[in-house]
Amino acid sequence: MNLTNEKVNNFCVLNIEGRVDTTNYSEFESEVNKLFEAGEKELIFDCSGLNYISSSGLRVFLIAQKKTLSLNGKLYLCNLQPAIKEIFDISGFSTIFKIFETRDKAIGS
Amino acid sequence: MAEKVFSINNQLAEIAVIADTLESLSDEWNIPMNITLSLNLVLEELVSNTILYGYDDTDEHKIEIHLSFIDEIVSIQIEDDGREFNPLLVAEVDVDLPIEERKIGGLGIHLVRKIMDEIVYERIDNKNILRLTKNIRRIE
Repeated sequence: MNLTNEKVNNFCVLNIEGRVDTTNYSEFESEVNKLFEAGEKELIFDCSGLNYISSSGLRVFLIAQKKTLSLNGKLYLCNLQPAIKEIFDISGFSTIFKIFETRDKAIGS
Repeated sequence: MAEKVFSINNQLAEIAVIADTLESLSDEWNIPMNITLSLNLVLEELVSNTILYGYDDTDEHKIEIHLSFIDEIVSIQIEDDGREFNPLLVAEVDVDLPIEERKIGGLGIHLVRKIMDEIVYERIDNKNILRLTKNIRRIE
């Protein structure tokens, strides 16, 4: 797993690459917490490089979404690979997240 | 008939062994990558549950994994000597709930149930034996 973030307009974009699983989800969780602690409220998780996720990683997405709602912020997802989108669909996550095809669409929304 | 039997220790780091094994089987058995990822997910959810919650001691335990691929059907058998645990008895999560009511957790078994076609649990000789099958023709 590799995580990098960058500022694009008002958004803080977190690029999630590689595998998020039981062995490394806590790194992902603490990275997300750092963004919240830094005062970021408008987030985009760019998942173009995310090629595997298990329930421990999905759990972090859910926590982030709940946190964002409590802050009246935004959390958008973009560039989900088809296999990942399928996992989001069967988890019921496709209805609780705003998912965009591209990063530009997420930023422009 | 294609078959692969391997075992891992009850350490979370061994999840990587599952990923590596499935990746090489994907090539060998010519299974599409998205199916391989789903099977990896199923194995990770079940095995990590066992590793995290399945044992009353801190000893080393073996978890045996048996995979086969016959007539487009992938079969998985997982055998462990942990505490009796039938994942089929875990309450279903309601994935249609709005975000405010969604519980953190409980998703793992849900994913396993959704991805696999059939799941059979048995407790034999103080071992949990879980057999799962998936017909991969249907979703290509």
